[in-house]
Parts: sequence; C-alpha cells; structure tokens
Amino acid sequence: MKILVCVKQVPESDSSFIIDDLQKWVCKGPFSYKMNRFDESALEEALSVRDKDKSAVIDVLSVGPETSKDIIRRALGMGADSGIHILCDMDGYVSPFLTASYISSYMKENHYDLVFTGAMSEDYMQGQVGPIAAEMTGLPCVSFVVKQEISYGKKSIYAERELDGGLIESFELKLPALLTIQGGINKPRYPSLSNMLRANRAEIRTISPDILSKNDPKQINLRVSVPEKRREGYLLSGSVQEKAAKLIRILSQKAFIA
Amino acid sequence: MAAMRKPDKKIIFIIAEHHESRTKSIVFELAACADKIKKFCPAEIKVIILESETEKLSFEITRATGLDAVAIEINELALYNAEIYKTVINDLAEEYFPSFIVIGHTARGLDVASGLAVRMKAACITGVEGLSEAGGRLCFKRQMFFGKINAHIAAGSEPLIITVQPGSFEAYKPDSANPGRVETRRVECFAELTRATGIRRCKFQDSSISEAKVIISAGNGIGEKENLDLIYRMADVFPGSTVGGSRILVDRGWLEYRQQVGLTGARVAPELYIACGISGASQHLAGMRDAGFVVSINKDPGAAIFNESDVCIVEDLKKFIPAFLEEYGKREI
Repeated sequence: MKILVCVKQVPESDSSFIIDDLQKWVCKGPFSYKMNRFDESALEEALSVRDKDKSAVIDVLSVGPETSKDIIRRALGMGADSGIHILCDMDGYVSPFLTASYISSYMKENHYDLVFTGAMSEDYMQGQVGPIAAEMTGLPCVSFVVKQEISYGKKSIYAERELDGGLIESFELKLPALLTIQGGINKPRYPSLSNMLRANRAEIRTISPDILSKNDPKQINLRVSVPEKRREGYLLSGSVQEKAAKLIRILSQKAFIA
Repeated sequence: MAAMRKPDKKIIFIIAEHHESRTKSIVFELAACADKIKKFCPAEIKVIILESETEKLSFEITRATGLDAVAIEINELALYNAEIYKTVINDLAEEYFPSFIVIGHTARGLDVASGLAVRMKAACITGVEGLSEAGGRLCFKRQMFFGKINAHIAAGSEPLIITVQPGSFEAYKPDSANPGRVETRRVECFAELTRATGIRRCKFQDSSISEAKVIISAGNGIGEKENLDLIYRMADVFPGSTVGGSRILVDRGWLEYRQQVGLTGARVAPELYIACGISGASQHLAGMRDAGFVVSINKDPGAAIFNESDVCIVEDLKKFIPAFLEEYGKREI
C-alpha cells in the first residue's frame, strides 16, 4: 500500500493579517507557521493504516515556499517515510486549480494506491485542492471523511462522511482513491525524538514546478477587505475585574441576569 | 434534445440538495443568491433536481420558489453518489451552457463542486457569503485567514461554479405565486468507481440547545478540558441557559454532539449568546448569527467573532470568567 499525504503550512490562527496598500492581499508575515490541522488528521489516518499494515509506505507532499520544509520534516517526525516538496513561492492568492495541478502532475508520474489530503486548509478554507486533484487524475473521491477502512481483498476503501443533523453516509471506492479528511477525527501523534533526528537529516526531494504541468488558475482574487462589523462591537476597557463588572452591568440592564 | 440556450440570456443552475425526498432549506438560500447574480447579469434560473424519484421534490421546489426545474430521475440515485452527480450535471451543462452553477457549501456540495469544475473547465469559488463588485466585475466574497479577511474573487471566464455558505442569504421569496415549470426525464447513469453503501443517523440532536434562552458556548480557545468547568459555572448564573460549543470540542469528545453549534450542528437563536474562546470561522457563525445579543470573550483581539458581537472582551477567559463570577457574587450580597 503506497500512500500519499498532502500537507500545507498555515499561519497560526492568532496571527494578525494586515491588508497591503493596494488592498490586493495581506502583507507577507513574518508569520509563525504550523501544519494545517486537517492535514495532521490526514497524516494520522495514513499512519494508522501503516500501524496495521507494516508494508505500507507513506510519502508526504507539500506545495509551497521554502518554509514548507519545516512541516514536511514534522510529518517525517510523526512517522512518514519520505518527503516531497514542490517548491513554489507565489505572491498573493494561489488558485486551488494551480496547486492541485502540480499535485496531480506529480501523482501521474508516481503511482499511489491511496491519497489523503485535509478536507480544507485553515487559512484559505476552500476545500478544493483534494477534489480537484482527484478529478484531474481520474480517482474516485470522498470529501470530509470521518472514518475509513481499507479492504485489501477487494482493493477498495470504505469511507464515511458526516452530513448535517448527525447523519453519516458511507461509500466504497475502488483503489486507487483520494479521501479528504475532516479535522479532529483522530489524535495526531507527536513527532518522536528518534524520528525527528532522522527527519532533520532526511533528504527532502525538491521539485521545481517548472517541470510539472500547470492548470489555468481559472479565478482571480481582485481585492481583500476587512469583514464588516455586523453588530455594534462595543469593546470593554479596563482591568479584568473592571471588564467583568461592566459586563454584569450590561447584562443586568438587559435583564439577562436578575 | 435541441440546445435550449437563448443567445440574449444566461442560464444559472441551482443544484437542489435533499434528504429523504425533502428539500434542504439551503436550496431557498441558493435561489436568493442566484436571484442576486441575476441583478448583475440578466439570466434565467433553473433548479436541477437529481434523485431516483423527483416528483415530490419538484412539486415542492417549483411551488415555493416559482422557479423552473429540470428533474432528472436516475435509478442509481436512491443514494447520493458524487460520480453520478458530476456526470449528469456535466451532461446538462453541455446542453444548457449555464454561466453559473450555484451549490450549497455543505459536505455534499463540496464533494461535487470542484470535481465538476474540472470536468466543465469551469472556475470554482467555495464558501461564498455575498456578492460584490470590483473593477466592474462581479466578485464573490468569501472568508479567508480564520475569518479575519474577506477575499473578493472573480472568475477568469465562464462558467463559474460557486458553493454558498448556509445562512448567508435570506430564503428566496418569489415575486409571483405561480409555480415554476418542471421538465422531468429519466436517464441511465452508473458509477464505476464509487458505490454508496448507506446513510444512517449516528448522533442525536435534541431540541434543548435550540430552545435555550441563553447559550454559553466554548471554542478551541478554552485550552484545557478542565476549563470547561468555568463555562458551566458561568452558565449557572443565567436562568434558562445551556452550554454549547464549536465542532472541535465535540470532535475531542469534550462536549456532546447535541451541544454543537454551527454548520454541522445546531442553528440556534437564543436571546443571549456568550462565545468563549471561539475564533468565529464561518462554519460556526452559520449556527449562531440569529442570536439576539452576542458577547464574545477571546484573547486574540483580531478574532473574527468580534465582528459578530455586541460586546467584545479581549481577555483570557481563564482570568475573565473567575473575575466575572467574583463580581457576580459580590453583587448578590
């Protein structure tokens, strides 16, 4: 079983994002980056497959700037076998069609039985790269998977996805297949010290996007803006104690507390 | 069938989402979104219904919206199957040449939209919350960067597929009471690589959270599980209150599914909603936007939840809630 897991670096959620002078995009960092939470869950699913099937091999792939190597190393630290980095440092909005075309171009040259991606990235929240890459490579795909199980005899994979209202729908896909994994469905393991030492020495295969085929981006970001306030947004000031007292006054006036 | 494209009018497809032959409420929000697109460029809207039996759905949708529907009956679609959806919609697109395809930003909508875009050589913008204009072009507004930034994205060319965030548009009300026309056909289509194996209810919702007057809601920012105790203690202050939370805490097993507020949980409208350590990603906001009064406590001053709040408190809730309880205690004496 050869498994590819796609991972992305994202800024920490408490980062502040400042809109550039042209109002075209946000200013470049410096951000501290981490592995996308959904991708961590995707990698953990792959590692759980290998826990049961020792012959499974897990490659991690990231498309992004030089700093993406850090999360590839983290993935190796968590237990992935080898890392691939499609190095591209693009300014501004990167269309999912572009990212997915690099991934699918790589997938066409390198056979995998199974591809896991996060269901979306925490920063862009588009949920598109996985399904686009699947379609480009002709693989069946289920998105937002909460549970999966490989059937080695049937060469298929069973996948469950959550709908609203607590409903679960399930599918059986012929392998090779691509699943996008919902975040939080498992507990991603921490990198082990021995793996991390290995990861730091490991050679990460770096690929230039120039040798990969690339799709028309299809869509462009014209501008960015700060979300408008939909409510008053009265900001309480003072010490913690003062703020607490103010909130109690407000809630009493509104008769929420007696 | 002859191509039905009218040269002077564009076509907008709405893909109807349904469960057990009942129309999902998102369909009426999609209709409202399509109607707004029409204001930018004159177009004709068609609701596309795919099911093994479509009569009940087409009746319901064309009456409630006054929009025309194309109902495609496919035996294999007793259960939803992305492969069949993509094939059939792509075939319909080759017949009608839609400029826009409007789909719900739901688990199923996202399952179909991007793959369909590849087949149709279309652009695809997901999580759309509104329309805007930039440089004379129709743009689609969506959240980015943890809800702290809005991006305004335009298609480079037509067709364009969008997925619309639930709760972003008010349900469509038709101008006239006349029901739309339905064109029904039966087609054969089989999935080769994907087999739907079933649908079941695994988690149960009760109405307690929807009926609560006050919801104290916890998010990832609470940090440790032990801090949930603070949330429950705060809830004790309010008569008729209950504790809710965002998906991530439910995933971790810290809260029950019936307590989950947001897209895949409950849509609530309490008189008071206190968001504790909730960042305000659109998935959560979709569940609480109808609340009467919103108070948010978050140590990140840039948290998106503050845009949706009547009162904003930039504090670590581990410090704030004890202070709140202390002040409340003083007040009672």
